[in-house]
Amino acid sequence: MKNKKIYPLFVVLFFLTNSSLIAQSLLDKLDSEFPDKPVYEIATFKMTRIGLGHSIETRKKGALEISLYNRYWNIPNFGGERFLADKVSTRYGLEYAFLDNFTVGFGYTNFDKISDGYLKYRLLKQQKGSKKTPISITLLQTISNRKTTNTGLYGKETSTNNNAFTSQVLIARKFNPDLSIQITPTFIYNTATATNDDPNTQFAIGFGGRHKIGGHASVVSEYYYVANPLKSIDTYNAFMVGVNWELSHLLLQFHITNARNYAEDTFITKTTHNFNFKDPNLHFGFNATFVLHTKKKKLK
Amino acid sequence: MNKILPFFLLLILLTGFSSEENQFIARQGHVSFFSYASMENIEAQNNQVLSILDLRNKKIAVSMLMRAFVFKKDLMYEHFNESYIESDIYPKATFEGNILDFESSLEKQTKIVRGNLTIHGNTKEIDIKTTIEKINGTYLLSGEYNVFVKDFDIKIPPILSSNIAKMITIKFRFQYQSYEE
Repeated sequence: MKNKKIYPLFVVLFFLTNSSLIAQSLLDKLDSEFPDKPVYEIATFKMTRIGLGHSIETRKKGALEISLYNRYWNIPNFGGERFLADKVSTRYGLEYAFLDNFTVGFGYTNFDKISDGYLKYRLLKQQKGSKKTPISITLLQTISNRKTTNTGLYGKETSTNNNAFTSQVLIARKFNPDLSIQITPTFIYNTATATNDDPNTQFAIGFGGRHKIGGHASVVSEYYYVANPLKSIDTYNAFMVGVNWELSHLLLQFHITNARNYAEDTFITKTTHNFNFKDPNLHFGFNATFVLHTKKKKLK
Repeated sequence: MNKILPFFLLLILLTGFSSEENQFIARQGHVSFFSYASMENIEAQNNQVLSILDLRNKKIAVSMLMRAFVFKKDLMYEHFNESYIESDIYPKATFEGNILDFESSLEKQTKIVRGNLTIHGNTKEIDIKTTIEKINGTYLLSGEYNVFVKDFDIKIPPILSSNIAKMITIKFRFQYQSYEE
């Protein structure tokens, strides 16, 4: 009859529900208990610079970065002998993170006598987990000042101040734990130009990438394309390839590049060397950054 | 037939619940670890560790997110997740094991918990000496355990070997409450 068919069915159902509860291990049970919190992607780039230009990263509140950027190159057919390299340009930099998302930095370069400062704000953070944000966006505004002093006919010194402003929107995505890509639309305004033919405003776009080759090291590369280059001098697009290496509080960057200057407006628009291995086009860069945590988190 | 159906449904529901009544959960368990090295001491805390205690089967399970560890310095947090524990690939550390010779009548007892600890995708069978306290029908488990970094295939470059200890001390404290769905 009907009941006889339904009894075994219930028995099967009875065992199924029981066994499914046993089969669900305690760990599986815990997986469903994790609170649904936003998970932000960390270390899209490990350092606040890819190599030449800025990366989307900012340091957390209270971090002070003391940096020394060096660029070495040789003079062609140089008569003398100098240790390691003929010429060296150094930028001394200080950067302080007032907030997790906001950093202010200053620097001075001894070779081109440019002082630069910047404000950097992290607008959007890449998120994974339940709520997804595909990219990170950081805004950067820099100002650079070049003071040139000319000695006049009667020994009178006149000095002129040239300011340049660079605005960048840094857009980056960490595709997987190893690969991050950044695209950087750039707008540059120069208060003074060499000739009337030169544009005051220039547009450029930067491309940067990082590929992790080990727990602490990554290969990085960067390229800046200028849409309307200067007319009075021959300029080339800046390119860099190198290795970033992290040693606890010390962050090191080694690279080869054709860019000689450090301020954004100068290396993007005024790189007068093409990228090749002939002197004086080949520049070897060595950046050292020390991170000091002035505010430490208290553990309970 | 119509009389038997509700009875069976009740039975199915009851058996479903019976496995829950001897289970306890800790949603804000504490796990901290310490590395005492010549260069600097590193300390981290995670106050969002999940754990289930199943007294019927004398089983215990622990699961924690590596990203939930808090460090004194943010660079430590970044290096821990990015370079050492690789939390993008291995987001969790887990433990699943049995309490040996558990006696439900005792107020306070120290027992061995034997099980599998998984960190950085590597699983190792370990014995942890655990203090089990029964307070007002709920349980408090606490203890300390030392792990070797190399057991879990966590690479420390030779140049940084003086910054990180080879043996890490892990402390834990789980306050359980009865499990409710």
